[in-house]
Amino acid sequence: MALIELRDVTKSYKRDSMEIPVLDRVTISVPAGEYLGLMGPSGSGKSTLLNLLAGIDRPTRGSIRIGDTETTSLSERVLAGWRARHIGFIFQLYNLIPVLTAFENVELPLLLTNLSKKQRREHVMTALNIVALSDRAQHYPRQLSGGQEQRVAIARAIVTDPTLLLADEPTGDLDAKSAAEVLTLLQRLNQEYKKTIVMVTHDPHAAERATRVLHLEKGTLVEQVVSRA
Amino acid sequence: MKFINLVLKSAKRSKRRTLLTVMSVAIAVFLFASLRAVLDGFNAGAEASSSTRIVTIRSTSLIFSMPTSHAEAIKSTPGVQDITWANWFGGIYKDPQNFFANFAVEPESYLRMYPEIVLTPEERKAFLDDRTACIVGDGLAKRFGFKVGDKITLQVGIPIYGTQDYDFTVRGIYTSAGAAVDNQSMMFHWKYVDERSLVKGQVGWYVMQVAHPDQATQVSMAIDQKFANSPNETKTDTEKAFQSSFVSMFGNLNLLLGSIALAVVITTLFVAGNTMAMSVRERTTEIAVMRTLGFPSLTIFLLIAGEGLIMSIVGGIVGVTLARVVVNPDVIPTGGFIPVFGVNNTNLVTALALSALIGALAGLIPATMASRLKIVDALRRVA
Repeated sequence: MALIELRDVTKSYKRDSMEIPVLDRVTISVPAGEYLGLMGPSGSGKSTLLNLLAGIDRPTRGSIRIGDTETTSLSERVLAGWRARHIGFIFQLYNLIPVLTAFENVELPLLLTNLSKKQRREHVMTALNIVALSDRAQHYPRQLSGGQEQRVAIARAIVTDPTLLLADEPTGDLDAKSAAEVLTLLQRLNQEYKKTIVMVTHDPHAAERATRVLHLEKGTLVEQVVSRA
Repeated sequence: MKFINLVLKSAKRSKRRTLLTVMSVAIAVFLFASLRAVLDGFNAGAEASSSTRIVTIRSTSLIFSMPTSHAEAIKSTPGVQDITWANWFGGIYKDPQNFFANFAVEPESYLRMYPEIVLTPEERKAFLDDRTACIVGDGLAKRFGFKVGDKITLQVGIPIYGTQDYDFTVRGIYTSAGAAVDNQSMMFHWKYVDERSLVKGQVGWYVMQVAHPDQATQVSMAIDQKFANSPNETKTDTEKAFQSSFVSMFGNLNLLLGSIALAVVITTLFVAGNTMAMSVRERTTEIAVMRTLGFPSLTIFLLIAGEGLIMSIVGGIVGVTLARVVVNPDVIPTGGFIPVFGVNNTNLVTALALSALIGALAGLIPATMASRLKIVDALRRVA
């Protein structure tokens, strides 16, 4: 059974009296453990699709099922709890909280759990070890390089051991070396830790790391690249 | 508790802004507590007044005097058990800035009728035996370092008492056993002053003892009736009303000070609210990220509101601490005008509650804004 099932998902925004279509009847199935790349030009609907998967936006029509949960039918409050348990989100601009240390940033999602302080500490250090930044735990984001910041953001995304990792242009703001490190890390998370990943990217080199790549154009799935796995 | 670090770190984001917000609340709370202390102090004198003491003054105003001949007529009024009198001397100790209340009193009857003035038997005797003796409150003694045996010279403040300075010897330092008598005053013999006065035999006010509070109105009316249509008509009232009329000479203090306090508090509320709203606007992306991580709207609301509340309560604590230190007769001498001067516990709790209220109200709109943020819109604003 697929981990992600999107059926005829349509998304449009209303601007004044105009309805602007962003996604048009997209149907995708992603099995557990897959590393899916989403490519397409700006405005093609890649990020919107990622936001719908994350449950931070709602489709105009269609069904989104992740695991056993039909996310489109959940209330805002329930959806927030579901996100905390099942989604790890990696942003293009890292979006770390500047007043918190790397440790505290990674700990943030765990504050919503019932874990004790000691347990939280163990989880955070495990996540920081995975991204090879345990020695930077007490550093603030301003004291880290862009690549390190993104690795902390990845640690924050994986610290709750979520069902699904969603990455929105995770290398879009990084130099080539840092981008390669981040991509290697994501690949490791997929291969070693069996994490299901959906990554939006413009970069063909980044997309090469995915096991399958889908192309979106003007909100429609136009081409399906054969899996490399 | 696990969110407290998050709230504190957010509050420390812009240290200068947080400090200014805390200080604005602190100043508002300080002013509120101080103004309340002044009002409470004035009212405390009236509240603590004896219900069996009544006071007679000239019907025109407290500043006009009456002849001593009134004493016998008043004493013969049915219901009057005892009588004493006093004059406002208005003497100046070295410099007008050293203001304190000083009265010429009929010593024996005054001490008898004001058991709140506590002296040792030796001090009492020494005061009564010496025509140039004076007694000072322990607060006043502390302020100027007066000791028993010291000589005090007062310059004449009211021309009717002549032009030459008056010398006194401190024969006792009294403590006050009730708010009706403050500990910042000086008292001396009425006769000593009267001898040198340009107009002899004048009294500022009479104080009478009645047996029961219920008699106060009836006896007061009887006294005033005696002097009706005379050149020195009187106005007799309870000591409480006398104290209140003394306060009312300054105008409607309750309204004036209350209005100032309210204006300061409302202004601070707007300042704090605006600061919180600015802070939330700057953190739009962070809040969206936290919502993406799964923070529920309610938690976001509580985090932002909690931040405002903590800043405001810290400001409140600073404000009341400052008020406790500053609103003190040792720091600001009241010269006996305010019988009880200090921030009491009720005032302290009210001021702290007020700071919490400012924090809660100031944080309400920004917290609601933050909790209702649309995640996708907020993320798109920066991306």
